[in-house]
Amino acid sequence: MMFYIHKAACISPQQTFGDIDIEQLHVAVDNKLYAIEPKYPHFNGNALRRMSKSTRMGAGAALPLLADNDKPNGIIIGTQVSGMEENGKFLNQIIEYNEDMLTPGSFVQGTPNTISSQIALINNNKNYNLTHVHRGLAFENAALDAAMLVNENPAHTYLLGGVDEISANNYTLDTLGGWFKKEPCPSDGLYNSTTAGSLSGEGATMFTVSGNQAGAIAKLSAITTIHSSDVAVVKERIKNFISKELPDGKKIDLLLTGENGDARVFPFYQACEEILDDQTAIARFKHMSGEYPTASSFALWLACNFVGGILNIPRHMIKRHGDLKSLKNILVYNTHKVGQHGCMLVNVA
Amino acid sequence: MDRIVVTGIGVISAIGHSVNENHAALVMGKTGIIKGGGNFPSRYSGLLPFGEVLVSTDELKTKLNVTQPGVTRTTLLALHAFKEAIADAGLSPDELSAHDTALVGATTVGGMCLTDELYANTHGDTENVEYVRSFDYASVNLFIQNRYNITGVVNTMNTACSSSANAIMYGCRLIKNGLASRVIVGGADSLAKFTVNGFNALRILSDEACTPFDQNRKGLNLGEGAAFLVLEKESDATGKKNYACVSGYGNANDAYHPSSLSPEGDGPYLAMKSALESAGLNPADIDFINAHGTGTENNDEVESRAMLNLFGTLPNFASTKGFTGHTLGAASAIEAVYSVLNIDRQELYPNLNFSEPIADIRLQPVMDHRSAAITHVMSNSFGFGGNCTSLVFSKP
Amino acid sequence: MEIAELKEKLKVQIIQFLNLTDLTPADIKDDEPLFGDGLGLDSIDSLELIVLLKREYGVNIQDPKEGRKVLVDVNTMAAYIKEHGQK
Repeated sequence: MMFYIHKAACISPQQTFGDIDIEQLHVAVDNKLYAIEPKYPHFNGNALRRMSKSTRMGAGAALPLLADNDKPNGIIIGTQVSGMEENGKFLNQIIEYNEDMLTPGSFVQGTPNTISSQIALINNNKNYNLTHVHRGLAFENAALDAAMLVNENPAHTYLLGGVDEISANNYTLDTLGGWFKKEPCPSDGLYNSTTAGSLSGEGATMFTVSGNQAGAIAKLSAITTIHSSDVAVVKERIKNFISKELPDGKKIDLLLTGENGDARVFPFYQACEEILDDQTAIARFKHMSGEYPTASSFALWLACNFVGGILNIPRHMIKRHGDLKSLKNILVYNTHKVGQHGCMLVNVA
Repeated sequence: MDRIVVTGIGVISAIGHSVNENHAALVMGKTGIIKGGGNFPSRYSGLLPFGEVLVSTDELKTKLNVTQPGVTRTTLLALHAFKEAIADAGLSPDELSAHDTALVGATTVGGMCLTDELYANTHGDTENVEYVRSFDYASVNLFIQNRYNITGVVNTMNTACSSSANAIMYGCRLIKNGLASRVIVGGADSLAKFTVNGFNALRILSDEACTPFDQNRKGLNLGEGAAFLVLEKESDATGKKNYACVSGYGNANDAYHPSSLSPEGDGPYLAMKSALESAGLNPADIDFINAHGTGTENNDEVESRAMLNLFGTLPNFASTKGFTGHTLGAASAIEAVYSVLNIDRQELYPNLNFSEPIADIRLQPVMDHRSAAITHVMSNSFGFGGNCTSLVFSKP
Repeated sequence: MEIAELKEKLKVQIIQFLNLTDLTPADIKDDEPLFGDGLGLDSIDSLELIVLLKREYGVNIQDPKEGRKVLVDVNTMAAYIKEHGQK
C-alpha cells in the first residue's frame, strides 16, 4: 500500500503555515501547545462562525491544496472526536438547561464528519468522503484508506488529513485519565521528564496524494498499524514491517518518533530504537506538536519536507545525530495511549 | 477476484435480541417503537417514542459477562451483536486473532452516551473516573479488539447516519486490496441524551411513531441497537452458510448543507449510481430497495426524487425505520442484516405506518410481508454532512 | 422596555447568540431581512433564534413554521416579544 504525496499543508503549534520556520521553537503554555492559526482570509465571517476549531483548522489547511479549483476524487479525514469543544458545549447545555430548548448549532458543528463535509461544501466536491475516528490510529487508518483508493484508481488524486483540537473537556478527561502531565512541564524539558503524561497539543495537516510519481515531494511506501500493549509484540511487528517493506540494500536514514515524555510509553520508543543500528539518526516531534490522537499526521508532514529537501531537520528535534548524511528513507513510529501503534515508511519520491 | 460473501450475521434492536427475534418481528409487522415504559433516563422518555432495546445496561453486563469498569452501553450492544455474528460464521479464536482478520465498526454516539458522567468529570468530579477513558468513538471497537485479541486492521468510522454502511464498504475494500481475508463489520449506537437532544433541537423528532414516505410524516424516532456481519472471500467459505454476497457500494457527498439534503438529492443519487456501477448492474436489476426512509420531511422527499431520477420506475422499496427507529451508527448495519434476510428468505417486510403517498411524488412502499423472488437488494444510508452511501447485496 | 431599547438589545443578543463576530449592532437595520439576501442566516440559525426568544424573553414558539413569520427582521421579532413576552 503506497501513495505519492504532492502537496502538504499544516496548521500546528509551530510556524508551519504560510512563512514556514521550524527552527524557532514555540513553547507550551500551561502544558498546552495551541495551534498558531492563520487569519483565514478566504472564509467569510458567515462561514467561520459555523466552524468548530477543528473544522476551521482542517478547512484552513486544506484550502491551499484546493487552489486552482482542484477537485480531489475523495476527501479522507482522520480525527478522534473533531469538534470536541462544540461537543462539550452541547453536553453542558443538556445538563444546565435540563434537556429543555437547546440550540442545535454546537450539536451539528461537533459531529466529527463536519471537517470532511465542510471541505466538500467549500470545494463543491460530491466525490468519496469518509471520516475515520479510531483514536490514536485515526490518521493511519485514513492514510490506509487513501492508499487503497490509490491502488484502486492510480490516476485519481485524494485529499488526506489528520485533525484534532485541544478542548476544555478532553483536556480535563485526558488529564484525569493520566495522559497529560499534572505538574508544569516546559517544552524543552519534556524528554527529561520521568512522570506519566505528556503535553497537550493540536493541529491540522492536509496532503494531496495520488499514484502519480511525477512532481511528487515524497512517497509513503508502506504503513502498518499495531494493536498491542506488549512491548515485545510491538517490537517484533515493527521489525517485521521494516524487513518486509524496506528494499534490500536500503537503510533507514532517520527514525522519527512520537516520544512524548510519558514514562509509561517510553519503553515502546526505546524498543523501536533498538531495532535499528546505533548509528541511525533519531529525531522527535512531540515537543513541537504536543500529544494528540492524530499527531502522526504532523510527523508525516515533517518527513515529507525532510525527504523532499524542503526543510532541514532543526537541531531541537535531534535526539541522536548518528551518521546522518543523506535523507532518503524515514521511519515514522508513533504510539498513542500505549495500545495503538502506527508505522509509516516515507521515501524520496 | 473472489466474491465477498456474508457468512455470519448478528443483530440486537428494539424488535429483538437476535437475528431470529428480529426476523420474527419483521414478518409479523411488529414494531419496537414505544412511548414510555423504557429505561432510557431522559426527560423525553414518555414524551417521545423511541426504539429502545428493553434490557438494562446492568443486565447486558451480566449476560455478556463483562466485569471490568468503564464499559458503556454502546459497547455492550456492539458486543452482543458481534458475538452472535462470529458464532453464526463459526469463527474460531485462532481465526479471530489471525493477522488477516479485521474489525471495522461504526458509531456516532460511542462513549458520549455518558452525558451526566462526563459533565461531572469535566466539572470537578475527580473521584468517579470509571468512564474517562471511554468517552470517544473508538472505545467501542477497542474493547472488542482487546476481548477477542484481534491483531489485524481495526478501525472506527463516523459519518453520521451512513457510518456503518461505510464500515461495510471499507471491510470489503480491505479484502479486495489484500489487507484482510475476513472482516467483521458493523455498527452500534445507544440511545443518548446527546443525540436525542441534538435531533430534538433540530426539530426533526416526531412525537408519534414515524411514518416513512407518508405525506403526513412528522419526523423520525431515535432507536438503539447494533449489528455485525462477517464477510469472507468466497473461496475461504466453502461449506459455510452463505447468506448473500456484497456486490457493490457507492459513497458520495451531497455538498449542500450541514444537516439537510439538497432538493434534487445529488448525494443520494450519486451514491446509488456508483453502487450500481461497482456491482456491474443496471437499475432494472435491483429487485428491492431498503430505503433510508427516516420519516423526516427532508429525507423522504429527497430520497424519493433521487430514486425516481435513477430508476425511472421504482422496484419495490420500504424503510424499516418504523420497526427499529433510526439507530444512527447502527442503522446501515442493521438494515444490511435485513437486506441479507430479504435475499436469504426470499421475502419482503412492510414499511410500517404508511397510509398516504407524498403529494407530487406518489410513491408507495411495500406494505405487507410477502414472498418475492429477490436477487439484488440495494440498501441506502444518507447522513448529516451530506455523507451518502449505498450498498448492493446479491443472491449468492 | 421601550421598543427602541428592545431592538438594540435584540441586535446585541443576535450577534452574540449566532456568533456573528464580524458585525456590530449598528450594522443590522431594523427592517433588514434576517434570512436570504439580508444577514444570510439559515434554517439552523432560525432554530437558534427561537431558543434565544425562549431563554431571554419567555416567548414560546412550538412550530418552526410559526417562527418564520416572527423571524423576518428585528422589527417583527420586537413586536412579537412585546405581544407575547413573559419576562
